[in-house]
Amino acid sequence: MAEKTPVEQLTYKQASQELELIIRSLESGDMELEESLESYTRGVELLKSLRTRLSDAEQKVSVLLKDVDGNDVLADGEAANTDDNLSF
Amino acid sequence: MAGWNLTGNAVSAEFDGSDEQERKELSVSQAVEIAAGALDAIPQLSVLGEVTGFRGPNARSGHCYFQIKDDSAAVDCIIWKGAYLKRTFDLRDGMQVSFKGSFNLYKATGRMSFVARSFSLAGEGLLRQQVAQLAEKLRREGLMDEARKRRIPVFCSRVAVVTSLSGAVIDDVKRTLRRRNPLVELVCVGAKVQGEGAPAELIEGLRRAAAITPAPDCILLVRGGGSFEDLMTFNDEELARAVAACPVPVVTGIGHEPDTSICDMVSDRRASTPTAAAESVAPAMTELADVLEARHQRLGAAMASMIGSNQVDLEMLDQRGRRAWDTYTARLGDALDAAACRPCLNDPTFMVERRESELALTADRLSGAIVRSVGTFRSNFERLPERLVASTSGLDGKRHALALASSRLEHQGRTMLNKPASDLGRAAASLDALSPLKVLARGYSIAYSDDGVATSAKTFKAGDAIRVRMADGNVTATVDTVE
Repeated sequence: MAEKTPVEQLTYKQASQELELIIRSLESGDMELEESLESYTRGVELLKSLRTRLSDAEQKVSVLLKDVDGNDVLADGEAANTDDNLSF
Repeated sequence: MAGWNLTGNAVSAEFDGSDEQERKELSVSQAVEIAAGALDAIPQLSVLGEVTGFRGPNARSGHCYFQIKDDSAAVDCIIWKGAYLKRTFDLRDGMQVSFKGSFNLYKATGRMSFVARSFSLAGEGLLRQQVAQLAEKLRREGLMDEARKRRIPVFCSRVAVVTSLSGAVIDDVKRTLRRRNPLVELVCVGAKVQGEGAPAELIEGLRRAAAITPAPDCILLVRGGGSFEDLMTFNDEELARAVAACPVPVVTGIGHEPDTSICDMVSDRRASTPTAAAESVAPAMTELADVLEARHQRLGAAMASMIGSNQVDLEMLDQRGRRAWDTYTARLGDALDAAACRPCLNDPTFMVERRESELALTADRLSGAIVRSVGTFRSNFERLPERLVASTSGLDGKRHALALASSRLEHQGRTMLNKPASDLGRAAASLDALSPLKVLARGYSIAYSDDGVATSAKTFKAGDAIRVRMADGNVTATVDTVE
């Protein structure tokens, strides 16, 4: 089997898509047992990582600013206020 | 009645307000007439007002009767059929319209009306009409075709937000997505959203947002609610074209339902508010969790069924394997039994004994043959000396005959040579006597021409070569004369 990207290096969407593919190929039942075991292990790993990410997700906000040369640069921005009282 | 001024030319005097004149009484007609005259003296006016009570042209006459008003006043308004037919748009209640015309007093009822000869949309109404015309133009160009709208990913992981960074809207978007799906990464691109220069800033904002690397999955072009004029920025033609041409799909959320700007119409997805726009770019965390849960179930089920079916396969293979093994070993057993019944294995000494008896027979034959052979040989040998002696008895006679033949051959040979020798001697003497050389020796010679021996003088002529053969050699000469 081809070398797999470590789960933590995948984006949520990539991991989610890979998990879906794994489940579909497992559901198709065309796999060798060894291969399916390997896929299953990978699937469980992906599932765990995705769940963790869902529960630990923190919003990332950046702001596109112009630097002194007038080039666009991304600067870290403030995430939304966690205070749920709407201020407007 | 005396003192009445029936000509009406004393109007100005009546308004002088002198006590004497105040006491003069006018008929209604006169009073109305005075008012009508005063109204007629007012020049043509342009009046801006809101249409109210408009029920369309009168079914019988085709004239329109309605009212125009503002916050503190209202007046009846009439548009004659002919003027209304020349209209560029239909009047509706609530429209801000600019009417050109003059006041008129209908003497029969004394009601004052404004008679409009022409009218046009004004203020917001005018703007709306212009917006509608621009929308129609862009629609005809195909900028609003469903086919050219791009698909927005169900789950955008990177989203650029083009809006004012100072308003509440950007916080609203951030907050909405933090609650709904914090996995969505936001990039805020600031731009003015209303007033002078706003369209240009928004166009630049879109360009900058689309140029971010890695590219965002979509761009949110959002703005909070406001008056129609406030939202006019998003009806700008250049901005609308920039939205349509943006290389990254654009989701708009401008104002509040039911506000619809041209940017909304040309964007790839239109949401009614900034919040709705933000919600539309990613699924909620609960949905993701549900999806994960469902996948968890499917993963487990798929694996269980995979293992189950493999187990069944394995059991079947096991059974088939056992059957095949049993059949195979049974066949081998049969073959072994058959082999065991063969005499070589059953009674191994039998083979050796048979060979032994054959060997004994052969040995007997061999010893008998030798004895016979020696006997024959011996008897032949014993007869040999006498046969040898018998074979030499005729040799003396043959030796004598041989000696006799030898002496006869010798004698006969000599006799045979005598006569030829004497014949040869005679022939040699005759040959010698006849030799021409002997004639030459006596002084004769032989003349030769080129053609051989010359026997006649005519053979030659003067100048010819002549050879003369002498006994001891040749003379070669040239003929001088022939006689």
